[in-house]
Amino acid sequence: MTLIRREGRAVDVAPGETVLEALLRVGIDAPHSCRAGNCQSCMHRAIDGAPPPESQSGLTDAQKAMGYFLPCICRPTTPLTILRPDDLGVSLEAVVQAIDSLSDDIVRLRIEAEGFAYRPGQFIELSAGEDLRRHYSLASHPEEDPFLEMHIRLHQDGRMSRHLAETLQPGDKVHVAGPSGSCFYEGVNVDQPMLLIGAGTGLAPIYGVLRDALHKGHRGPIRLYHGARSRKGLYLSDELQALSDARDNVNYRPCAFDPSAPHGGDVAATALEAEQSVSEAAIFLCGGENLVKRLKRELFMRGASLKNIRSDAFTPAR
Amino acid sequence: MSSLYDRLGGEGAVNAAVELFYRKVLADGRIAHFFDGVDMEEQIAKQKAFLTMAFGGPNNYTGADMRKAHKRLVERGLNDSHVDAVIENLNYTLRDLGVPEKEVKEVADLANSVRDDVLNR
Repeated sequence: MTLIRREGRAVDVAPGETVLEALLRVGIDAPHSCRAGNCQSCMHRAIDGAPPPESQSGLTDAQKAMGYFLPCICRPTTPLTILRPDDLGVSLEAVVQAIDSLSDDIVRLRIEAEGFAYRPGQFIELSAGEDLRRHYSLASHPEEDPFLEMHIRLHQDGRMSRHLAETLQPGDKVHVAGPSGSCFYEGVNVDQPMLLIGAGTGLAPIYGVLRDALHKGHRGPIRLYHGARSRKGLYLSDELQALSDARDNVNYRPCAFDPSAPHGGDVAATALEAEQSVSEAAIFLCGGENLVKRLKRELFMRGASLKNIRSDAFTPAR
Repeated sequence: MSSLYDRLGGEGAVNAAVELFYRKVLADGRIAHFFDGVDMEEQIAKQKAFLTMAFGGPNNYTGADMRKAHKRLVERGLNDSHVDAVIENLNYTLRDLGVPEKEVKEVADLANSVRDDVLNR
C-alpha cells in the first residue's frame, strides 16, 4: 500500500493500482478520459513526494519540474501529496515592501515572502483581504531579489486596483499562494534562440524569464517584443534598452500603437513579420487571452512545436 | 507478424505525427472552425490519444467516451463529411512520414471504426 493525500483526504493505493483507480474507487470524482496516459485529462500535481518518471510521459520539462503527473499511469511506490492542477495550495503571509509607479496606470508591487520558492515568470495568487484575490506574474528573481515583484495595471473601477492605490502601505500584511504556471526558463538549451512577446503587464513574466535566462548564462539570441497601447505604457524601456545595448544576444523591440508605424504598432503583427523562422525557437507569450491565442496558433502553424511555446494568458478579474 | 502499432513505430511514431496532423487539420477550411477557441495544449493531447487509438496502440476508450466527447460538435453540425476530412488529413500525414500504403489503409480503417460513435448514431 502507498499513501497519497489529496485535499486533506488520505487514500491508499493498492499494489499495481494506479492513482486514478484509487481515487475513483474511494468515490472521488476525478476527471479522466483515455486512462492510457495520452489525453492528460486527469493531470494532477505532486507538491510532496516524487511521482514515478513514467507517469510524467508526454509532459513538458516545465510541467515535470513542477511535479505534474498523470494519475491514470501512475503507480506510486512512495507517498505523495497531490493537488488538482488549478489548486494553488495553502497561502503564506507576506509583507508589503514598496508600491511604486511604473507608468500612468501600472504599479510595481514588491512584497517580502520568506521561504517562498518560485521560478521567474510563474504566477501567484495575491490575497489582500477576504474575497480580494488576484493572480499576478513574478518579474523578480529568487536568487537576485529579496522580494517578489509584480507589475499591476490599475483599473479605474477595480477593487484590487483601488486597494493598491489608496489603502495598501509598506509594512501591511498580505497572503500569497502558489506558485503556478509553466511560463519559465526550463527545457531551454543555452544556445537556442528565444522569442519573448509580452503585451501590457505581460512584460512582468517576460522580464522574469529574460533575467533568469541571463542568470543561467543563456548564449543564444533573445528577441523581446513588448506591446503597449501608447508610448507611456512601454514601462521598463530604459532598463531593457540598456540591456539590449550591453548584450550582443539581446534585442528589444518596443511596439506602441501608432497609426503611422508599420502594422500600426501592433506587437503581434510586428513580431510575426519579423519572425519568419520559429521552428527552433523557445517561445514565451504573455498578455491578453486573444493575443496569446492568436500568436500561439500562428507560430504553431509556422512550424513551432507546441512543446516550445510557453504561454500565460491574462483573464480579467470577475 | 507484429502489431500495427509496432510496425508504425509505437509512441515515437505518434509523437512524430501529432503536430503534423494537427497543423493539417487547422489549415483545412472544412473542419478548422470546430477547433476555434479551443485550448491548443489540451487539444494536442486529445489528438495524441486519437492517433494512438488509430495506430492500434494502447487505449481504453469506450464508445460512450467517444459519444460524450463529440456530442456538442454533432449538435453544431459535425457529420460524415467532416469525419472524411479528418481521415483524409490523417492519410496525408502518414504519407508525408513515408508510411507504406498498407499501413495507411489499416489506420484509416481503425479511425473509421469509431465513426458511428463519434457521430452519436
